[in-house]
Order: sequence, then C-alpha cells, then structure tokens
Amino acid sequence: MQPFALNYARPAADVEVTAVYAYDSGLQLNVLLDGRIAASDHALLRELGTTTSTAGSKTHFDD
Amino acid sequence: MTVLILTTEEDVTADMVVVHLHACAVPVVRLDPADLTGGAALSGEYVHGAFRGHLSSGGRLVSLDGLRSVWVRRPGIPASRAARPSPWLTEESAQALYGMLRSSGARWMNDPDAAHRARHKPWQLRHAQSCGLPVPATLITTFPQAAREFADRYPDLVVKPVSGAHPQDPPRAVPTSRVSPDADFAAVAFGPTLLQRRVAKRADIRLTVVGERLLAARKPVAADAHPDEVDVRFASTTAPWEPAEVPPRIAESVRAYMRGAELAYGAFDFVEDADGTWWFLECNQSGQFGFIEVDTGQPIARTIAEWLSRPVAPRPTRLNGANSAVS
Repeated sequence: MQPFALNYARPAADVEVTAVYAYDSGLQLNVLLDGRIAASDHALLRELGTTTSTAGSKTHFDD
Repeated sequence: MTVLILTTEEDVTADMVVVHLHACAVPVVRLDPADLTGGAALSGEYVHGAFRGHLSSGGRLVSLDGLRSVWVRRPGIPASRAARPSPWLTEESAQALYGMLRSSGARWMNDPDAAHRARHKPWQLRHAQSCGLPVPATLITTFPQAAREFADRYPDLVVKPVSGAHPQDPPRAVPTSRVSPDADFAAVAFGPTLLQRRVAKRADIRLTVVGERLLAARKPVAADAHPDEVDVRFASTTAPWEPAEVPPRIAESVRAYMRGAELAYGAFDFVEDADGTWWFLECNQSGQFGFIEVDTGQPIARTIAEWLSRPVAPRPTRLNGANSAVS
C-alpha cells in the first residue's frame, strides 16, 4: 500500500551543526565559538552545507 | 522603519542578510513564531476605527506601523515551543500573528497568500507554461493505467514528490529519481504520483530572483556522470556553481512568472539540455540561496537586504470619506 514515489525514498541527511555556532540574541546572528559571525565565514558555510538546498527538512520544503 | 524577519534562530542563511542590514543601520527584529508565547509576544488593538499593534522578540519591541517589510524566511510553527503546545494554540497564534501582520501595510517577501499558492507544484507547472517557459512533459495521477500509458509515450521518466514535502517517522528524503522502463506502476493508486520526462541535461541552473533582479548560476554535469544521477542535490559532483547569463527570452518569461505569482522572491530550478534550452522544473518561493552566493560570490543576500530596506510607499487612508495618502 506504499505510494509509488516512496519506493525511491532514502534516509534524510542530518544537518545538525549546533555545536559549531550559537545564536546571539543581542546581535540577532549566529556566532562561532571564537566570537566571529558565522555567516561571514563562507568557507565554513560551504563545509557545513547549512545554506544548501537539501531535501529532508521536517518543517520546510522549499529547497 | 524596521525589517521584520520571521525565521528560526539557527537559520544562518538569514544571517547573511542580517549582516547587510546591520551594515546599513537598518533596524531589524528577528522573530520565530515558534517562540510565541514565550520569547515572542504580540498585541493588537482595534479601537475608534483604528488599529495599533506591537510585536516583541528577544527583548525588542516594534510597532506594526513601524515595519517597512516582512521577510518570511524559515518561520517555525507558531507556538510550537510554548510551555503547553497544541494544534489549537498553534492555530490561534498563527491567526493572531499573520492576521495582524497582514494589517500592517509592510511589504512582504513573500506575501503569505501568494506564497501559499506558489508552493503548489501543479500550479507552478501550468503557470510556467502560460508564461512561455519550456516545461518537460509531466503527468500527475493516481491512475496506474495513465502512468503506464505515459511511460509508453515517454519511456525515460523521473518521479518526484508533488509537494516537495519529506516523509517523517522515520525522516526520509525523496529525491527526483529515474524510473525503470519496466517499473510496476500499481502503487500509483496509493498516492498522487508526479512523473516527468527526463531531460538529458548538460547543466543544472539555479536562477534566484529578488524583485526585478535575476541572478543565475550554472553547474555543469560531469562528463562521467551516471544518467541515474538526476537530482543535483544528491549528485556526487563537487564542481562549484558558476555565474551564468540568463537568456533574454527566459528572463522575460521569468519576470512574467514572478508578476503573475505576485512573488518578490523566487528560486527557479532549470535543467539545460544539449541544445542550450532551459527546461523549467520548479520555483521555490523560499528557496535556499546561501550555497549559490558562497560558490559564485553573487550578491544575493545584499540584494535581498536592499529590497527589504526600501522605504514603505505612502498608504492610502480614508479621511472624511475620501481617499488620501499619508506618509
């Protein structure tokens, strides 16, 4: 009884990165452990893939 | 005048825009609707024929009259982090928040009603056709026989979710996947199934639209890529996205799409075939853009910040029975 499309499903990727940066409510930005702004470190963003279009979000499906 | 950003705390892509807003000294309030009624609060008063409303988040208070724009980025489910969350409380909170924001006169990226319609892929496909964008032959059906007949006409098919939603329990992703020519389509009866002619692509295209500005990026398909590797999100290539020119006819059609959809932001996915034709796949009304900016250096975040920062147009108001504009 499984819908056809689910024959092609695979486990969702885990993109949890909470240990790398944390939200600073004063700045309204996420900051790295050394105090730098995470969004300004493009090399890190590329490595983490947190700005990437990936399937698997629980609440958002606009990739 | 303040820019209100509705998103989660961990949304580092939104941070890319906040950085530019801070640099321009544009006031920002970032609010996650999930934090209602804990870290976020609201109040609105309808008295003597007038409306006054306020929001607070993270200790910041903003008048709804003081909003220049609202960016609906990745908002959490309203009140989902409340002390005693419930579907009822979520609905109450959603109605209160979005109902009052709709009364604010602020510019939206994107308007919630337009966004709701624009999320529907079947609508997207028809709207794209009507705007002159090439759309691969597509079937959405629950009839197994219709699927079989479509496969006879278009033997090289892919399947993808109609909604783009991802099944949970356990969390799974459903990539766009190639369908074997001898596939058993009986299970089509158990859920709407979107089948589409596979375009033999030489590149993926991501076209990000912010207001009137189009920023396109292209990722070539590796020469040794397997034809089953259909979905660029799951492709093994490490090639970066590169800036690309938008063909004039595509640009014209995309602008018509945005106008017709009443969207201020959209992230279009195309595939480019061997003839250089861009085939429309979908338009994500809140699609990710950080990964494109990181690879290409295109100023997407800055362009969004500039759009959000624009002054609010004078609002018509009714004075003594006549329409007037006030600043």
